[in-house]
Amino acid sequence: MHIIGYTLLCLGIFVSAFSLIANVIGYKKKDKRWLKSARGGILSLLLIAGSAGFLLFCLLGTGQFQFKYVASYTNESLPLVYKLTAFWAGNEGSLLLWVILLCITAGMVIFSNHIQNQLIPYVSCVLLLNILFFFIVIFFTSNPFEVTDTIPIDGLGLNPMLQHPGMIFHPLAIFLGYVCLTVPFSFAVASLAANRADGEWIQLTRRWILASWLFLTIGNLLGGWWAYQELGWGGYWAWDPVENSSFLPWLTMTALLHSVMIQERKGMLRLWNMSLIIISYLLTLFGTFLVRSGILTSVHAFSDSGIGNYFLAFLFLMTVLSLYLLITRYEIIKKEANPIESYFSKESSFLLNNLILVASAFAVFWGTLYPLLSEVFTGTRVNVGPPYFNKVMAPIMLALIVLMAACPLIAWKKAHVKKFLRNFTWPLAAGLLSSCILFAAGLRGILAIIGLSCTVTMFASHVQEFVNGIRARRKVKKENVLLSSWKLLMKNRRRYGGYIVHIGVAFLALGVISSHAYSQEVLKTVQTGDNFSIGDYQLTFKGLTEVIENDKGIVAADVEIAYKGKYLGMVQPEKVFYETWPEPTSEVAIKEHRFQDIYVVLSSWESLNKATFQVKLNPFVSWIWSGGIIMMIGTLFSLIGGTRINNRVYKFSSSKAGEF
Amino acid sequence: MKKKTMLLSFVLFFLFFVPVSAEYDYNSPEFQSIVSKLYMQGHSDHDIATCSVKQMYYEEVLSMLNEEGMSEDEIIQYYVDEYGQSALKEPEFGKSGILAWLIPFAVIVAGLIMIVFWLKKVKKGKQAEEANGVSWQSDTEKEITEKIFDEERYKRF
Repeated sequence: MHIIGYTLLCLGIFVSAFSLIANVIGYKKKDKRWLKSARGGILSLLLIAGSAGFLLFCLLGTGQFQFKYVASYTNESLPLVYKLTAFWAGNEGSLLLWVILLCITAGMVIFSNHIQNQLIPYVSCVLLLNILFFFIVIFFTSNPFEVTDTIPIDGLGLNPMLQHPGMIFHPLAIFLGYVCLTVPFSFAVASLAANRADGEWIQLTRRWILASWLFLTIGNLLGGWWAYQELGWGGYWAWDPVENSSFLPWLTMTALLHSVMIQERKGMLRLWNMSLIIISYLLTLFGTFLVRSGILTSVHAFSDSGIGNYFLAFLFLMTVLSLYLLITRYEIIKKEANPIESYFSKESSFLLNNLILVASAFAVFWGTLYPLLSEVFTGTRVNVGPPYFNKVMAPIMLALIVLMAACPLIAWKKAHVKKFLRNFTWPLAAGLLSSCILFAAGLRGILAIIGLSCTVTMFASHVQEFVNGIRARRKVKKENVLLSSWKLLMKNRRRYGGYIVHIGVAFLALGVISSHAYSQEVLKTVQTGDNFSIGDYQLTFKGLTEVIENDKGIVAADVEIAYKGKYLGMVQPEKVFYETWPEPTSEVAIKEHRFQDIYVVLSSWESLNKATFQVKLNPFVSWIWSGGIIMMIGTLFSLIGGTRINNRVYKFSSSKAGEF
Repeated sequence: MKKKTMLLSFVLFFLFFVPVSAEYDYNSPEFQSIVSKLYMQGHSDHDIATCSVKQMYYEEVLSMLNEEGMSEDEIIQYYVDEYGQSALKEPEFGKSGILAWLIPFAVIVAGLIMIVFWLKKVKKGKQAEEANGVSWQSDTEKEITEKIFDEERYKRF
């Protein structure tokens, strides 16, 4: 079996190298046979990568412990679903997953009927370069088909913390985000290589950009949800380097999603958009380098297997290539930019939005790298943890929310201050009213109240936009409210899909601000029958039970929860001891009531009648997940809609595309 | 009178000269404030229930507060003396950490200046006001109505 695996990886290297060369020769010599051969090569790569993936699935599913990877991440007693998803639990498997997804994507792009044009050969070169790189890395440093010296009776098993639904889909979503992002990057580079200054690459890859953003959003949210449910520290985002590495491209892609609209409408920001997609792509490589090189310590990082150097070299190569193309094509991109008509316009507000998003990406990047830079240049190790990120990011994100509140009300080309102020009256009133209500309700913390009020203003301005749109449609078409709402949404999917995403962001922001500013925590040691309070909730310890299940021992505590004396239910926080894992894990019990999570962790116990609990009261955390779901719905809404690519008419500013 | 003076002196002596022994625990705000600043060799965000390093730090801080009577600043300084700046979760505002705090905001200011200059460069001259005399209630109304007219135009022609 391992020979088949090795052969497939070898074939992967040779076929991707051959296809890359065939592509270049084909376009140099204008020989269709070479090009056909290169296309065939991509199809073969799909088969090779798919076979390698299928083989690894089979090995994991059937428990072939003679393979190091299988022995390291599975064992006999692991449920089948986790045996199979151990595919992406380690370095080797996750890189194989990445290359499989890349091959599928390359196949979809190259064989798509919608996007057959002169850029495709360049695009396929960039995609093949990526595929070749991953096959090389897998073969030389992270081979999942490596065999052990002696066959163990059982494997080490999967880290218990990874045995969670969130961890089945989180890596998959992040890799899908990275891979989808490679497509617009390839088109942007292809566009530059072909001396094309038009925005065709954006039109062709709009759905890929959206898909990438959607998957990165899902991946980040699932990561947060998993951390909240599984890690037991009561939070969902710790600004860990690994978390930051997937958050960085999300921020730059969010900036890109907004700035491409200016290019589509005004033909402006061509260089900026090219730069943004290039930066986003390079950040995916940089993030992977951070996670897998071992240069930064992180709870989530993979072990250092020497692949960091490979990623650093590839990052360097792609940076040089992108910079070279940007510099040499600068004059072509620069020309034909249309002037703007007013400082007070949607164009300007989008510029500001881009500044804030890119600045926040820079702040995260800077904070992530600062410990390393400090150690290299001053010799002093300095930590940059959550308090730093919270302090730096809070004002930046607040500015973004304020901008999101105003931006939908600002017109393209030239906005009128009077009209804007008139339209902004109701959202602003809603924000002010909410701050009064919060004060009256006894909430304190001026910064949190400002944040919450701005978020309410932002939410209200979007609701008002929907209402205005429906009203305008009814005025002309004389339709009823429901029909008019439906048609408004269906006819303007991009616009209103975006607004739905913004509403999701409002929910998410309310959850983040509330849970940061108003969470409470208690650590109590209690006897059976004793109770203790947190906020308006009373918790009563009813006793401990011990159970042995398969390969694990479970100690569970029965805790009764009451709100102002009214019984709410029983929760069971657990401590689980695995035979195959040295440290026990905490299974958190979460009870949701009135938008608050009562987060109960069984900390320790002296006897079956005396235990210590860590209890947190986290307000509005569920709104973060609800906001995430709304964001996904909005993105899907935008993704499904929009004009088909082949119906569009493109204006090509240069006809040099065939020169390659 | 003498008795009253003696009693008052006794009370004042206890109020000002006898140290008040407040018993801190894990739920005390003072304790929470200290541990929230400590990096704990990378274990600060771990689950207290399973992380032995974090448990050790918690016990140590509690003993410094209760048994040695150290203040928050003294405890923080103790760890900084022991491990350097890496004992803390965030860089200090002083010279070793000033760049960490300033650079992100400097980038925003620089970006803002660049945008202002760029906008000045690409802005058109004074635009003529809209020629048609139609007045719209809002820009959304204008856009939606224009879009509907376009749809109708496509349908009919």
